[in-house]
Amino acid sequence: MTKIFAITQKELSGYFRSPMAYIVLLVTMSIFHVFFFIIIDHNQEATLRDVFAVMEFLFVFIVPLLTMKVFAEEKATGTMEFLMTTPTTNTAIVLGKFFGSLIFMTTIIGVIFVYYAIIEFYGSPDRLATFSGILGLWLEGALFVAIGLMASSWTRNQMVAAICTYLILFMLYFSVTLEKFLSGTLGALVSYSGVWSHTKNFSAGLITLSDVTYFVTGIVLSLLITRYCIENRLWR
Amino acid sequence: MIKAHELTKYFGRQKVLDQVSFEIGKGEIVGFLGSNGAGKTTLMRILTSFLPASSGDVSINGFDVAKKSLAVRQIVGYLPENPPLYLSMTVKDYLKFAAKLKDVAAKQCSAQVEKVMSECRLKDVEHKVIATLSKGYKQRVGIAQAIINDPSLLILDEPTSGLDPVQNLQVRNLIKNLESERTVILSTHILSEIEQVAKRVMIIKEGKVLVDERLSDLLTKSSAQKRMVLRVKGEKKCVETVLEKINDVCLLNTVSSSQEHHFDLELADEKLIHELLSCLVNEPVQILEMSPAVSRLEHTFVSMVNENND
Repeated sequence: MTKIFAITQKELSGYFRSPMAYIVLLVTMSIFHVFFFIIIDHNQEATLRDVFAVMEFLFVFIVPLLTMKVFAEEKATGTMEFLMTTPTTNTAIVLGKFFGSLIFMTTIIGVIFVYYAIIEFYGSPDRLATFSGILGLWLEGALFVAIGLMASSWTRNQMVAAICTYLILFMLYFSVTLEKFLSGTLGALVSYSGVWSHTKNFSAGLITLSDVTYFVTGIVLSLLITRYCIENRLWR
Repeated sequence: MIKAHELTKYFGRQKVLDQVSFEIGKGEIVGFLGSNGAGKTTLMRILTSFLPASSGDVSINGFDVAKKSLAVRQIVGYLPENPPLYLSMTVKDYLKFAAKLKDVAAKQCSAQVEKVMSECRLKDVEHKVIATLSKGYKQRVGIAQAIINDPSLLILDEPTSGLDPVQNLQVRNLIKNLESERTVILSTHILSEIEQVAKRVMIIKEGKVLVDERLSDLLTKSSAQKRMVLRVKGEKKCVETVLEKINDVCLLNTVSSSQEHHFDLELADEKLIHELLSCLVNEPVQILEMSPAVSRLEHTFVSMVNENND
């Protein structure tokens, strides 16, 4: 546990030592700020439902930028050799890195609470829908981070890691557009594998076991593949 | 302490290590010698459990490296060829991080970091970001992380590569001071370094151990033959006549400029130097230099590697 915490701490401070973290935070907050007022003005409704959709869309683009270096940089600089020759289990390495990225992503999501406070002050939002929406957003972010880590464990090249993550996230996020062209089992499969069909329930204030299972399974599976890849040095 | 039995490693179809077997006792300082691609780094990576062997087995302190890798990693300190440093961290933070990963007790962590920093003379840069340090300092930070948990086995892969002579000397002295009870495995291309630090030498070529001997024994063998450089000003013919007269002096190479002549010689015995000099002083030539061509270990290393090629 100490080692997981040490790696998490190192990852997190690594984010804040690089300009990328500040750029991502600034860009996210700016876009979020603009869209928040546009959406509120347009809907004339005290809800963050559409704001969550903007945040989900943003995650598709910012998460690969955050996670591309997690393993790829370690491999390129040789620090992976250091990590893997210390008495630290591969599980601890993967979890430490995952939690580090997850906490940073949670910080980004934390911005939402500022806007929640605004609508709470001026209106009476549906609290359950708001908090379940935030939970859905957080689970989706965690899944994207886990996928980003997995792609980063495949290569020592950060760009390749980012491109692989983009490909997977695009498939998960935009699969909703294929739904209308498909029917039967394939259609159902595409619908279930896309994130959209799960996050929309959270945004509506619905927390179902099926949706939670989808995200948790995706996270665990991605982390297991990550551990397998670093254990077997598959980037070589 | 280390028992390696018929270690073989393939990368794809390429055999990088070929049935390497050896034993290293506690407190020994062993130098791995070999040209680039000989298999030294691969062997070290197997010992640190970073890479698995394709076949064969190796145990450290009775722990099988493949099966009990966590136990092995607890007693091994490793400095790879390129020091594994997080450039954006400060020296102290990095060493604290290394200490946590290497199971240094939380209460002793700060004290241990301080101890290692003073041992590696890093106190003056403890708050500096690693990226801003010179190569010599970076190498010392790399060594500091390797010894942070007082490992009983220290594996150093080319610890002085790329350093200037002053940094080289500093790092070499640091390694010498680390000896004490530790077993040290050191790989380097700088053969004089091995002569100064190691007690035993393993020469590796194409994945095989060519030589595994105590350094003193190896040097005794090689001292029978000595290579010398002779630089003279004057008649080249006179020197050549002298060399022809003395048995057991072999002329390997000659390079001449308008004024000077450079002779590479191999003498069967060191005593022949006196005979050669006494003959040369009677000739109409000015002796500018007569010195050993290369270190004896270097000579042995080169001749053994070449011998095997032939």
